[in-house]
Amino acid sequence: MVYHSSFVEEEGINKACGCPLLPLKSHVRGPAPASDPDKVDIVDEAITFFRANVFFRNFDIQSPADKLLIYLTFYINVALKRLEGCRTLAVGTKAIINLGLEKVPVPGEPGFPFPGLFALPQSEDEAELFRNYLKQIREETSGRLLSCAYRPNGTPNKWWLAFAKRKFMNIIIP
Amino acid sequence: MDASSRPAVVIDNGTGFTKMGFAGNVEPCFIIPTVVAVNDTLSSQSKSSNKGNWLAQHTAGVMADLDFYIGEEALSRSRASANYNLSYPIHNGQVENWDAMERFWQQCIFNYLRCDPEDHYFLLTESPLTAPENREYAGEIMFETFNIPGLYIAVQPVLALAAGYTTSKCEMTGVVVDVGDGATHVVPVADGYVIGSSIKSIPITGKDVTCFVQKLLKERGEFIPPEDSFEVVRKIKETYCYTCSDIVKEFNKHDREPSKFIKHWTGVKPKSGATYTCDIGYERFMGPEIFFSPEIYGSDFTTPLPAVIDKCIQSSPIDTRRALYKNIVLSGGSTMFKDFHRRLQRDLKKIVDTRVRAASSRLGPDVKSQPIEVNVANHPIQKYAVWFGGSVLASTAEFYTACHTKAEYEEYGASICRTNPVFKGMY
Repeated sequence: MVYHSSFVEEEGINKACGCPLLPLKSHVRGPAPASDPDKVDIVDEAITFFRANVFFRNFDIQSPADKLLIYLTFYINVALKRLEGCRTLAVGTKAIINLGLEKVPVPGEPGFPFPGLFALPQSEDEAELFRNYLKQIREETSGRLLSCAYRPNGTPNKWWLAFAKRKFMNIIIP
Repeated sequence: MDASSRPAVVIDNGTGFTKMGFAGNVEPCFIIPTVVAVNDTLSSQSKSSNKGNWLAQHTAGVMADLDFYIGEEALSRSRASANYNLSYPIHNGQVENWDAMERFWQQCIFNYLRCDPEDHYFLLTESPLTAPENREYAGEIMFETFNIPGLYIAVQPVLALAAGYTTSKCEMTGVVVDVGDGATHVVPVADGYVIGSSIKSIPITGKDVTCFVQKLLKERGEFIPPEDSFEVVRKIKETYCYTCSDIVKEFNKHDREPSKFIKHWTGVKPKSGATYTCDIGYERFMGPEIFFSPEIYGSDFTTPLPAVIDKCIQSSPIDTRRALYKNIVLSGGSTMFKDFHRRLQRDLKKIVDTRVRAASSRLGPDVKSQPIEVNVANHPIQKYAVWFGGSVLASTAEFYTACHTKAEYEEYGASICRTNPVFKGMY
């Protein structure tokens, strides 16, 4: 069974494209509200559940936060694929920075991996807001992922990098 | 000496492995893969009229049909020389190739068990829902070729239930979950009779667990020599795999204490003789997980095993259901994973409790329903439960009266083998 997000409450949280902009314990600038440093946030959840959820091909959505969880799981899969050839932490970090500089698509644009999952943005502002949120959450996830994927001495951690070959929801990563 | 004073021979032919031995023993004498290696170079050359080969073929012709091997020997011979072709006579529990099956039995009786078939009664097993013709063919081979005095063809799940007999408890009603190497069946049995319309089978078997673990190891880049990769992974699966209660928690446990959970496998490369090691990590619990979430292995079948068992019991007659939930018996090698029965019981109980709660909330507070007890039995003979049940039943005095005898066969023909009376054994 897939693991679902625990962020089911929706009052008081901004929404964009039908997806709640959940708080993050982030040092990166962006539209996300700040979260308590002690609590688990959506990025922690995505990383903890990744190795289990990546095996599944069908995902039943129980709350809008699950949509964000799906997006993050897919992003972690993409990031791991970029890290596949990188032997040290320095090379890996460079590859991830390159990934972050690429254009981030929003729902409605070609290149967005889950057409139909999110609602289309109603206005240009909403699209920009969502794009900035995605950029922020991607950068945050990359940072935490690098600390999992590489051991303290800089060598790759094979227990994580093996999942680069897995295809979440059978999507072929370009 | 009368045949009924000698122990009966019990042979359990499964898709993957055959278990054989004598009644009254706790364990089978031999467990060998159900495979025959036949040398058919000479017989296939009979089409070409090559004069030079004629003499060789003639001299070999007398012994040519004895030139075959079964079991482990067959596998090693087929690897060593290209003359031998492997054939697997049983698919999904049904015998497909009777010639090969006859040869297989021949070697079993004369080479492995080394007994005289004329002196022993035989107990064979069959899958449920086998066509009656198959029983006729088996009976014909046994009585004509081997000249046995008596034969009983038992249904495998009933024997698995018999394996749980003690002197005080003789439970003939229960659901048998038989997870083998080639086929997995969920069979409800009431009072010794199989409820044929409720039998469910799922395409996830022990072989699939081995394939999945092999894929995971390859993805991680662990080195295993490709020639015997499947065999090595099978041994790894049998030694190290276990069932967990929650995948994410297991991953965290593996991360926190790698020295406790990550195991190492050392092997010898067959070609060069050098040793190699590989690490076994999360495959240990992801392997058996395919029974509970079949999606992770392939996308055609997605119903987890506890849901299949529940559907099977719900499709059985309503008066048997409570008794069926109370006695769920596991059999087959792939149920030997540690804590398999506990995870199955927990998941099944969750499904049953949800349904009971939904029903009682619809009926209101006046109607009190008794909670349904779900019990998955776990006992040490699980791996050979079918063989052991056969051994138990064949060592009772009643067995000899329930068998089809040679006299009956000669009088009525092979059609007597179509039916087999159900008998309880000990009381």
